[in-house]
Amino acid sequence: MTVQSDHMSQDIFPPRVRRWLFTTNHKEVGILYLVTSLFFFVAAGLLALSMRTQLSVPDNHVLTETLYNQFVTVHGLLMIFWVLSPFAFGFANYVIPLQIGARDLAFPRLNAMSYWFYLFSGVAIIMSFMFGAPDLGWTLYSPQTAFQFAPAIGLNVGAAALILITVSITMSSVNFLVTMFKMRAPGMKLRNMPVFPWAILVTIFMMLYAFPSFLAAVLLLYVDRAFGTFYFSSIQGGALLWDNVFWFFGHPEVYIVLFPAIGVIADVIPTFTRRPLYGSKYVIGSMIAAAVISFIVWGHHMFVTGIGLTSTKLYTVTTIAVSLPFDVMVIAMIETLIKARIKLKAAALFALGAIALFVIGGITGVYLASVALDHALRGTYFVVAHFHYIMVGASIMGLIAGLYYWFPKLTGRMYNETVAKIHFVVSFIGFNILYFPMFLLLDMPRRIQTYAPDTGWGPLNSLATLGGFIFGGAQVLLFLNLLLSQRRGPASGPNPWDGWTLEWSLPSPVPAHDFDTIPTIAEDGTYRFGNGSSYPNGSAHIDGSKIGNGLAYSHLEGMSPWPLVMAFAAFLFFLGLSIGQPTSPNPVSFKPFWPLIADGAILGVISLYGYSRERFSVHEENHVESWPFREVPNVKLGIWTFLGAEVIFFGVLIGAYFFVRTNSATWPAVGELFSIRNGFAMTLVLLTSSLTAIMALASAKIGSRNGLIAGLLATLGLGAGFLYIKATEWIELGTHGVFSVASGLPATSYFITTGTHGVHVVAGMCMTVYLLANTVRGRYIKGDYHAIEHFGLYWHFVDIVWVFLFPLFYLI
Amino acid sequence: MAVSNTQVIFDNLYGIFTYLAIIVGVIVFTLMAYLIIKYRERKSSSDPEDTPRLGRIPTSRGHGRNVLITVTLSTFLLAVLIITSFAAVDTLFPGSPPNSTWCYGIASYNQTQVAGQSCPRLDVTGHQFYWVFRYPNNHTYTNFFRVPANTTVVLDVTSADVFHDFGIIQFKIKTDAIHGRTNTIWFIPYKTGNYTIQCFELCGTGHVGMIATLDVMPVADFQLWYDSAK
Repeated sequence: MTVQSDHMSQDIFPPRVRRWLFTTNHKEVGILYLVTSLFFFVAAGLLALSMRTQLSVPDNHVLTETLYNQFVTVHGLLMIFWVLSPFAFGFANYVIPLQIGARDLAFPRLNAMSYWFYLFSGVAIIMSFMFGAPDLGWTLYSPQTAFQFAPAIGLNVGAAALILITVSITMSSVNFLVTMFKMRAPGMKLRNMPVFPWAILVTIFMMLYAFPSFLAAVLLLYVDRAFGTFYFSSIQGGALLWDNVFWFFGHPEVYIVLFPAIGVIADVIPTFTRRPLYGSKYVIGSMIAAAVISFIVWGHHMFVTGIGLTSTKLYTVTTIAVSLPFDVMVIAMIETLIKARIKLKAAALFALGAIALFVIGGITGVYLASVALDHALRGTYFVVAHFHYIMVGASIMGLIAGLYYWFPKLTGRMYNETVAKIHFVVSFIGFNILYFPMFLLLDMPRRIQTYAPDTGWGPLNSLATLGGFIFGGAQVLLFLNLLLSQRRGPASGPNPWDGWTLEWSLPSPVPAHDFDTIPTIAEDGTYRFGNGSSYPNGSAHIDGSKIGNGLAYSHLEGMSPWPLVMAFAAFLFFLGLSIGQPTSPNPVSFKPFWPLIADGAILGVISLYGYSRERFSVHEENHVESWPFREVPNVKLGIWTFLGAEVIFFGVLIGAYFFVRTNSATWPAVGELFSIRNGFAMTLVLLTSSLTAIMALASAKIGSRNGLIAGLLATLGLGAGFLYIKATEWIELGTHGVFSVASGLPATSYFITTGTHGVHVVAGMCMTVYLLANTVRGRYIKGDYHAIEHFGLYWHFVDIVWVFLFPLFYLI
Repeated sequence: MAVSNTQVIFDNLYGIFTYLAIIVGVIVFTLMAYLIIKYRERKSSSDPEDTPRLGRIPTSRGHGRNVLITVTLSTFLLAVLIITSFAAVDTLFPGSPPNSTWCYGIASYNQTQVAGQSCPRLDVTGHQFYWVFRYPNNHTYTNFFRVPANTTVVLDVTSADVFHDFGIIQFKIKTDAIHGRTNTIWFIPYKTGNYTIQCFELCGTGHVGMIATLDVMPVADFQLWYDSAK
């Protein structure tokens, strides 16, 4: 049932190591995510404790100001990008395929690759300390990110890390989206899904539409720093361009890190109160509402930038309105307690505690939504207190509830309940001693390394620091408890909490292949398993080692080295781009570290080849995948969602162009810099190539090999023609000296926007070459034309983008 | 005693928010605590009839009516907050600031209180890592400026380099200082004395020391100082 590629690397590593390095199994990947995110949690937590120590008394100088600012920045970045979401996605990886009755995720190797991109991006952000870590806050406000203000290349490394993790997040959102839409067990309707998968579903939709904006922002920042463009260092773009693009991403991001925890809480509470979640459909509806509204509230981060009275009032209303759906969620959780039988186990305590802290965080959020109060509270410890009540109080506490809840499922063993309860009590008290005083420090600026004694801020800061050490120390109990129990704890059995979701029907820990028989959900909501038992794995359910029907496979199957290698290649590539030598500050010129870039590129090509040639299939009855396009509906949905993210990405680039253009006093007249004739020719060529792509698909459908080859060759040729005209135009503009990257915003926006589009054309041409090679070998003409169709979708999208770029740059 | 009109506005609004927050918080936490204590597991208690069990999707429960009541109640509360916030921000940041009156009585200006004319605004510029204050007579002061008590002062705030934020701590007022943009704030200081101005946006190594002093003086003293300043 399992076809394996003959990995050259199989003999290099012992099985125990190979299992973790090359796994594509959603459960192993999930555990890798969890362990890695907890590692970063400790790292970022230690940074926080250092800062609390520095702030404990006035006029303290344990940390220098530079080091303090670096800690502030890296603490924020780590917690937001490398702890909160990956922690949640560790659970999502392990649990969601089980909860919806899928065999693994839709694209297991892509999933493994997401993890390795995540890990290496984390390595990069920590490495940034070697090059002068970013020290301007996780919000990276411009123009302070400009080379003249931040010459340390640690910021480049940080930007590279952010690009890598955005790639990781985009891959995994596409993967989860396809899995949840396409791979649910028969009868498992969307509305039958537990709240946790729903929360993740809403989260990935937000990720898909928020992160492209961030990626575009970081990319523009990166070219500003490396090639001396002016998006964020000029007055025309500058601070407000960054603010808009960053916070368009930034506010949804807050809910991206919050919703998975709400999902966990909504699964934990019914299990331990023994009652179904009150109004679960309203809870889900509220999540969707909050997610939608989260995209129109970003202005409240800009209340005092001078965006105008009307805008600020509008954002006040939307931001205050977003609290309504959260009201519904909280009330639903509380109403669940009525006539319940509440078992106050550690998971339940953390879930209830998280709700309580979330209430405080939510109420104080309404203060900050008010533009009038924000004029006093902006940039103070009140803000710090508020978002830590959300991100630590609700998110981390909620996820710790998940950790206790699913620990028996992950390990097959129980943790020590008493120690866990002590952990909760100490954490909860420590948390409030740590963060509540910060509400009272509403005059103290955040992100300052020290303060004078006569400010009177000393005592509350000392209290907060005390709380910080209590809270931090309490986590030692968590780690000790879980580490020891994982080896020595008593066996948990499959369903220690008497939970109802599908993962509890499986042995603990779950065997490599998950279900012997995929469940079916009947009309009345009961699960049916093919073996007639109430457990999918029959009598073997108590002991994961004995599997009944021969479907089982070991953890050492379904492995691929390429996700790891490819992520490492990308890591080298971006590191090389980041750690070069600045050769001149004004105009900025920067010499990247070519050896690393070359290594990364070569390794990337090798791994791409290995990845696509590998015969990779894990579950024969479910899906077979081979890059790029074989498994049909999954891939198509994946491409559509990916294109959705691309729309936002180009939308931001075009938006940035509009922004700098409308803010510029002068702009070259139509036809002055670009020849309209050239633009028109390129448009014609590209549109024709869409036509030939359609012809290629039509030929494939009727089985005409020659027609297909002709169609693809024509598309390839037209793509090349487009690039040729583009290149001559670039060179011409360059040699006339009118127009170089460094010569101003008209140049900057033109080169970057059309350059990014050009890269997309090149990628499309690479796909064409791949498809041509396969066509020559006789594929795609026997009804298996889907790959051509998928390529067509992408190619048409790239053409449509040009249809927008042409008038924007050439005609107006 | 209040130190400025902006502080009064803030304190009133903050008070309204906090009263409501405490009421809501007390209700929610009391309810939670009551329910947890009342329905905690006891030896005698047994699972409710609709306990979710492995093997079937739990029956859906919950009334849209309750959700509607919750949302309606919250909407009323939030409407109060929005309306009071708007009233405050209309005073704090009207489309155009009120007449500036700090220069009335100063010999070099012919503006008079009677005519209700506006004084020139003061310019504030953030630099890494200090504040520069410029008066209409082109005298500039670093990390220090003076205004007369009980007059209207209007400031135009900008930055010469990176993103700063100009905040007068005790006055509960601030605005971003952004290169290429000017943001205007105004206030009426009520009480003489020194007040702290600090940068509220991390602007580099040195940010922590980006502190200035505002000296609010009796009107007569201020006029004397201003006219004699060289």
